[in-house]
Amino acid sequence: MNDLFNKVKKNLIWKSVFRRDYRDNVRDRALAIFGNVFLHLHPVKVRESAVKLRYTWGMGGITFLAFIILTITGVVLMFYYHPTVDQAYSDMKDLEFQVPYGVITRNLHRWGAHFMVIVVMIHMFRVFMTGSYKAPRQFNWGIGVILLVLTFLLSFTGYLLPWDQLGFWAITVGTNMGAATPLLGYQGPFSEYLHITPYNDVRFALLGGAIVGGNALLRSYIWHCIAIPLIATILMVVHFWRVRKDGGISRPQNN
Amino acid sequence: MANENNNKSPYRAYLFVFFSVSLLILSAWVIWNDEFGLRPWKHYQKEYKSLKHDQLVNDYKKAQLEFHRSGGAKRLADLKAQLSKAEEALKSKGVGEKYTQLSNKLDELQKQASDNQKKLQTVRGKYLETEYFFTKTQKPEYKKQMDELQLQIDAIDKQGKELQAKQEPVSQSMSQLAGNIPAIKAEIEQLNKILEDKKEKIANNETAPIEIKQFLIKDIDKADRCVSCHVGIDSPKQPSTKQPYTKHPLMSVYLGHHDPGKFGCTFCHRGQGRATTTVEKAHGKAKYWDEPLLKGDMTQTSCLNCHGDIKNLRGAESITKNTELIRKYGCYSCHKIPGYEGMGDVGPELTQVGTKVNYTWAVDWLLDPKKYFSTARMPKFYFTQDQAEAIADYLFSMSGSERKDVDIAAVKNDPKLVEQGKVLWSQARCNLCHATGGRGGDHSKVYAPDLSKVGSKVNKTWLFNWIKDPNKYFPGTKMPRFRFTDQEISALVDYIANEYQDDEAESKYATPQTIQAESIKKGKDLVQQYGCYGCHKMRGMEMVQVAPSLKAQGVTFLRSDEMREKIGTELSSIGSKPLELLDFGKLKKSIPNDRLSYIKQKLRDPRGFRLGLRMPNFRLSEKEVNELSAVLYGFTDSNAPVRFMVPSRQELDKMAGVQGYKFTGDFAKVIADVKCTNCHTIKGIGADYAPDLTLAGSKLQESWIRNFLANPDMIRPLLQQMPKLGLSQAKNPVKVTMPKFNLGKQKVEDTNRSDVDVVVNYFQQELVTTDIPKNIPVIADVAMPEQIAQGKKLYDDKGCIACHQIGTDGGAVGPNLSNVGNRLLPGFIFKHLENSRKFKSDIVEPNYGFTERERVLLTNFLMTLKLSAK
Repeated sequence: MNDLFNKVKKNLIWKSVFRRDYRDNVRDRALAIFGNVFLHLHPVKVRESAVKLRYTWGMGGITFLAFIILTITGVVLMFYYHPTVDQAYSDMKDLEFQVPYGVITRNLHRWGAHFMVIVVMIHMFRVFMTGSYKAPRQFNWGIGVILLVLTFLLSFTGYLLPWDQLGFWAITVGTNMGAATPLLGYQGPFSEYLHITPYNDVRFALLGGAIVGGNALLRSYIWHCIAIPLIATILMVVHFWRVRKDGGISRPQNN
Repeated sequence: MANENNNKSPYRAYLFVFFSVSLLILSAWVIWNDEFGLRPWKHYQKEYKSLKHDQLVNDYKKAQLEFHRSGGAKRLADLKAQLSKAEEALKSKGVGEKYTQLSNKLDELQKQASDNQKKLQTVRGKYLETEYFFTKTQKPEYKKQMDELQLQIDAIDKQGKELQAKQEPVSQSMSQLAGNIPAIKAEIEQLNKILEDKKEKIANNETAPIEIKQFLIKDIDKADRCVSCHVGIDSPKQPSTKQPYTKHPLMSVYLGHHDPGKFGCTFCHRGQGRATTTVEKAHGKAKYWDEPLLKGDMTQTSCLNCHGDIKNLRGAESITKNTELIRKYGCYSCHKIPGYEGMGDVGPELTQVGTKVNYTWAVDWLLDPKKYFSTARMPKFYFTQDQAEAIADYLFSMSGSERKDVDIAAVKNDPKLVEQGKVLWSQARCNLCHATGGRGGDHSKVYAPDLSKVGSKVNKTWLFNWIKDPNKYFPGTKMPRFRFTDQEISALVDYIANEYQDDEAESKYATPQTIQAESIKKGKDLVQQYGCYGCHKMRGMEMVQVAPSLKAQGVTFLRSDEMREKIGTELSSIGSKPLELLDFGKLKKSIPNDRLSYIKQKLRDPRGFRLGLRMPNFRLSEKEVNELSAVLYGFTDSNAPVRFMVPSRQELDKMAGVQGYKFTGDFAKVIADVKCTNCHTIKGIGADYAPDLTLAGSKLQESWIRNFLANPDMIRPLLQQMPKLGLSQAKNPVKVTMPKFNLGKQKVEDTNRSDVDVVVNYFQQELVTTDIPKNIPVIADVAMPEQIAQGKKLYDDKGCIACHQIGTDGGAVGPNLSNVGNRLLPGFIFKHLENSRKFKSDIVEPNYGFTERERVLLTNFLMTLKLSAK
């Protein structure tokens, strides 16, 4: 047994990954954090008062968990989905009827998305109510607001992908609202000074055309699966890093 | 620190355990559900397999029994014994051993030879290579090697030949000894195969995988997984008649002509082809799936997707019957329906209606047509008394200025004329088309009005003019012009006026009353609002020519008063109209929200959905509602690919630039007058109520035609006895005879030929085919009486008598032949005996495969069957 243990631990691969033995003392604990990129993002210390559920509600962490679930299920769904007008809807039907574990994957993704939107809003509410947006955390509040918007955009772009009536009309309505943007939308005020028409306004940019069609589907797909998750991940890294740098998870003042 | 609050609260551990166990159970359920819960087809396929297994085992057992019974088993044992004997004999002589020895040696030599050949090739390759690279410096040692090898090969060859020569006698003697061993082996194999095949089938069924099965058709975007549960849909030997294991009904027609691999299932049956998780979802009964499954006869509605012409289409009988309703009620008058353009008006022209009917009757009719006679086709518009009067005022104003009724009490009919009229009435067979009080009206497809109360509807003057020349009042009517004399018409009119009275009829306006101008205006507005002009022509609302620019936009015709095509909604794609576009109005909660229910409800109660709807109520029976909705449900924009399309004859002709058949010359005038095509089909035009006359010229004798037209009910008794074989409802043999049109009494307009001459001439010129010869071959070696006797013998031998009647003997399935010698031309009989289906495809007569000589004999015999004309 000991031999086996030694064989596993005393070789180059193990060492290259873990570097050193772990002994439960302050130095090794610190070293473990120094040597781990993920724990770099995590605060060094978490006070007991900070992990109490009734203060933070754990909402930030739960949001992150939802994001991870959505990423994993989303990647699986991408294997079965073609973002084309002909195939999108039937691919979704196939996920429901044909693909092994397709139903649970798709439902996890869908309900997970709803869950994340709700949870991220509660997170924001909590941060606001505990005053955690105040100095020194103003910058992180700003990042959080951007992440909130990105979450909504993920939700919005994902809505079109099943290519059903619900999504189609939701995107039609949503992008038509874009058409009323001041200056940039062809129906918005002052747009005539910029010579904005239905064919060069912000709605056109969103849809890749003047109507919700194949291009809009492709754009939604790219935004939903690549662009926004990438941006959100980078911002999340910054968000977590700033939590650490701004003095760890916020906690009751007088503690 | 985290380990400082270890085990502070033990309830957290329980919570942790609880959630862990829940998650574990949940995960287990997910796996189970994905494997079985969501894959019910696995169960069906297993069940099917076991049923199939039972069936195959049964088959095998039967075959085994049969094998034993027919002596197959014994024969097999015999053969085996013979085989072992023969093999024994072969062994004992030692020939086999010798043969094997020689063969082995030969094989060895062959191997050596081929080895050497290979070596030679390698060396030659090297030799050629050096020659190629260094043209001059050839290597002599290669050349030497090659020569050596060649010598060796030659030696081996020689040796081989010697050996073969030695082997030859050995093998000869061996094959002599072996003798019939190969034959025995072959027979054994054959016998074994009978059972082996069955065994293999069982094994194949055993190993058949349980999997999703589907038809994937890219260009109509179908992935129909129906066969995952309906496994045996295309296997002719069904293991069970229970769903979902049965085979497709009428397989040769439906699947035979529509390969599921190309058409899939949902193209005809609708439903959700991709769904596999529940029966409801697969059958399209799920929410938000607009295409529920079509079952049984209802599926025939899908024939309309591709088939332009469903008449005579096998497997589309029900839908063909149903489409007749569209013609009956003239849906196309108010709704645009593809394929029903230019169908003509359903109702009579109304411009002169004031000269025809009584005012009181007109108002009553407008209020409720079914009150006058129950089979009335005109729908109920729910007019108020005022509205009905206004419309009647408007209609009457076109031919006069008064509301007026005939005073029925004052009408006098001459009893002598009435008596004469009664005879004429039956001679003309008025009852064939017109029902009177529940009697007659058998020829239902001409939709002639019920005449039981006509005496109180129309006035005698109009009736006289109508019978004299129907086309004059209503061009395009189906009513024929009988060639009555004026005196005869008077008699008929008096008879009708006397016999068919409505005792309850009132004559409110026996003293005429002037029509008010504002009432006329109101009536005109109503006529426009409700689109009466859809079915009835009337002055001021005729169709007008459409300008080419409008035509380019798809406008086909306009009414002069309003710039619109048809008053009703276009129905060309009602069967696939998105559900959101159907307004269920106040019935949203009370009827199922699907397309078919909407159509049915609309037909039942057209104005029930909300206020302001204009469609009148046709008061269809529930049966008619179902039938009509089946047709309407088939009007879809199915996006069927061009390769599915089966255009109708007319469409094909149009594409090919072929003109449809048209009657020409004087015969066209006769047809327009007598309306032969109401009952007969001629060159594809007309109805199937009476015999097809397309080849009448080649089939019938001239004298018979003349006699028949003069006295239709005397010469032709055969149809009177012929039951329709249950092809239609088996009524008691109805006396169906042709009306007496009194042809021959008058000359055709602008000519001095009698109409009988015209008809006979046209038959002989146009309605003939070169397939039927004028004369039949002559048999010279036998005298005529002898031939006739031989023909009679053939008639008796072949059992013609079972179906045909001569005199009083024989069956009633086929036509009576007592007078056939007077009726048919010998050429037709001769050809008919060769292939009876050639001229009439639905005939039941079997094909006896007569020789030409036999046919001549039979024809000669049949031509002697003549009744003397009375």
